[in-house]
Amino acid sequence: MTIGGGGPEPDPVPDPARLAYRGSGPGFRTRMTIGLVAAAVIPVVGFGLVVLLLAGLEPATNAALTRAFLSAIVVSVVLGVLLAALLSATLASALRALIRSVDRVSAGDDSAAVELPGDDEISRLAESQNRLARDLARRNTELRRLLDALQAINLDEPPLIIARRAAIDARAAFGMIDCEIALVDPREVPREEAVPGEPVPVRAELGMAGGAIGVVTGHLPATRRWERADQDLLELFAIEVSAAIRNAQLYARVEAQNRRLLSLDEAKDDFLRGVSHNLQTPLASIRGYAQQLAAEQPDRRLEIITEQVDRLSRMVRQLLTVSRIESGALRSRLEVFAPAARVRKTWEALGAADVPFTLEDRSEGWLALGDRDQLDQVLWALLDNAVGYGGRTPIDAVVALDPVTKDLLVTIADHGPGVPDEDRERLFGRFERGTGRPSGEGSGLGLYASRALCRAMGGDLELGPAEPGRGARFTVRLPAEAPDES
Amino acid sequence: MLHGGPGPYGVSTPRILIVDDDPNLLVILAEQLRGDGYEVQTARDGDEALRRLAHAWPDLLVIDMLMPRMDGLTLAREVKARADLPIIVLSAIDTADSKADLLDEVAEDYVTKPYHYPELRARIQRVLRRLGDRVPRQRLELGPRLALELHRRVAEVDGTTVTLTPTESRLLYALAANLGQTVTTETLLARGWADTEDADPSYVWVTMRRLRQKVEVDPNKPAHLLTVRGIGYRLVSAGTPAT
Repeated sequence: MTIGGGGPEPDPVPDPARLAYRGSGPGFRTRMTIGLVAAAVIPVVGFGLVVLLLAGLEPATNAALTRAFLSAIVVSVVLGVLLAALLSATLASALRALIRSVDRVSAGDDSAAVELPGDDEISRLAESQNRLARDLARRNTELRRLLDALQAINLDEPPLIIARRAAIDARAAFGMIDCEIALVDPREVPREEAVPGEPVPVRAELGMAGGAIGVVTGHLPATRRWERADQDLLELFAIEVSAAIRNAQLYARVEAQNRRLLSLDEAKDDFLRGVSHNLQTPLASIRGYAQQLAAEQPDRRLEIITEQVDRLSRMVRQLLTVSRIESGALRSRLEVFAPAARVRKTWEALGAADVPFTLEDRSEGWLALGDRDQLDQVLWALLDNAVGYGGRTPIDAVVALDPVTKDLLVTIADHGPGVPDEDRERLFGRFERGTGRPSGEGSGLGLYASRALCRAMGGDLELGPAEPGRGARFTVRLPAEAPDES
Repeated sequence: MLHGGPGPYGVSTPRILIVDDDPNLLVILAEQLRGDGYEVQTARDGDEALRRLAHAWPDLLVIDMLMPRMDGLTLAREVKARADLPIIVLSAIDTADSKADLLDEVAEDYVTKPYHYPELRARIQRVLRRLGDRVPRQRLELGPRLALELHRRVAEVDGTTVTLTPTESRLLYALAANLGQTVTTETLLARGWADTEDADPSYVWVTMRRLRQKVEVDPNKPAHLLTVRGIGYRLVSAGTPAT
């Protein structure tokens, strides 16, 4: 493995404050051995000498002997300590310099090179430490560039463009000669052999759970080292890029789906408008002829035809209203009007002359703010329900001002069996029908559409709580204005 | 008065061109309108209508919205490009429809199918009567802070665009045609609610109050929409001296 040179990172700058450790001469192990041997051997040799001397001397010279013995011990201890101190001093200062460097690198200062010239183990350790710091610095730079590149990915762009940009970014970050991302099955791209002295091929799959969607390939300068960590970094980048491409594909699909839904919605609206128009046109003819005939010779049957035509045409409109509620396209044009007159008019159009009907106007002239046309649809549904479910019992309509909110309240009550409390909210759902009316009558959409219409006008539709002996009581709430000249 | 004959449009009988692809409807509507004293021509599609326009202009067109080949909206645009003739569109479209706004730009009014003849007649009368107080289809500058574009049903108040309801723009039409002069509440009532039998002066009062909220910078100190107590209202340009 070659030592990194020619990389983008600068060589460590020698620091004058570094300890002048000289690692030249005998190797670390030799010195260690000499030191330890000396420390162990010198006292033993000294002791041996003393014993030899003792053996050749008179016992009378005991005192001199003891003195010589003691001084020999002192000399050897001093020698041993001096040697050990010298040894540990040179070792300890080098190790301290290394520790400082490791500490600074681990604290994030990857410029913390340590200068320990020589070729002994300590110097080589220092060199390794410096290389580690350089590699860390390089990978940090690469990582930063790659993260920036990933952050800059725009999911609006097509996958091919994202891949091309990512390849350019990877090339710059890793210092490659060339880099390419192919969005194909990685097996289709043959693996290159590394030839010593030639550009080093690198490769990573754009893989995620569920298979790779492509492969990134490139070449490094022949002098560049490519370690496990570099490969990991490239693979990590490849995974992130593949995730981004997946997201972009999903995003594009969602966008396309949205566009399709919008155009479908438009088409549905056009279709419903067309159906509604095509149904209303013949109804207009039938109505016109029936009225013409009735004008020539009044006949109750012609009135029934007109009423039923109106009924049918209202149902068609109700369907159109429901489709607008569903697509969120319901809107109202607010104008001012007196609701009592609308109630009267709608009642007359309903043609239920045999059902007793009273209308009481307590609005004190206040005017409602709403869409007349839409209120007509609501009133028609409520009055039609009151006739059908009320079992043709008398119907009372009251228009009154809410003293607190200053809304106008239009209440329509029948005297039929009423609605049990547990059914009150359910009735406003789609395709919900009350009990007690011949099946097949009514679309089940009346109250659903009516409530939505009332809310679109800034009001609401409520069903009062059940009371024994009283029928169903529906209340339309509409914003109102005082009838003052201003 | 609102449901009288064609009456006060001058000496000639108003001419109406009906365009609808349904022959039954053409026959009935033509008979009904002739019965009320109008001169009626009919056309089965947009091309025929445009050919008839080349010969003579009617006073008003009633156009069906949905027709094969050329739809009502396109025809209305073609007509307006040739002459500013009043148009009533007959359609299954109601106010909640997304196309209602498009109609507003090209048509004076629209009537939903199946039409009720008295309502249609009332609207025809109202549109014809409005010929007297025609406001050009252009921007009307009333001062530094208010401009009206009634043909688009919008007002520009202090740089902000506000949309007007059909009734509001009808009232403004009537007021703008008599700029600076008082228009009586009764006149405004007839302009705004020709097809509503139960209409009452309070309709005008409340609508004017709401209109002032929309177009006046300070609704409590109106600069343009002035009340003439007990009589009616006046639309003035900023700087117009009080009379």
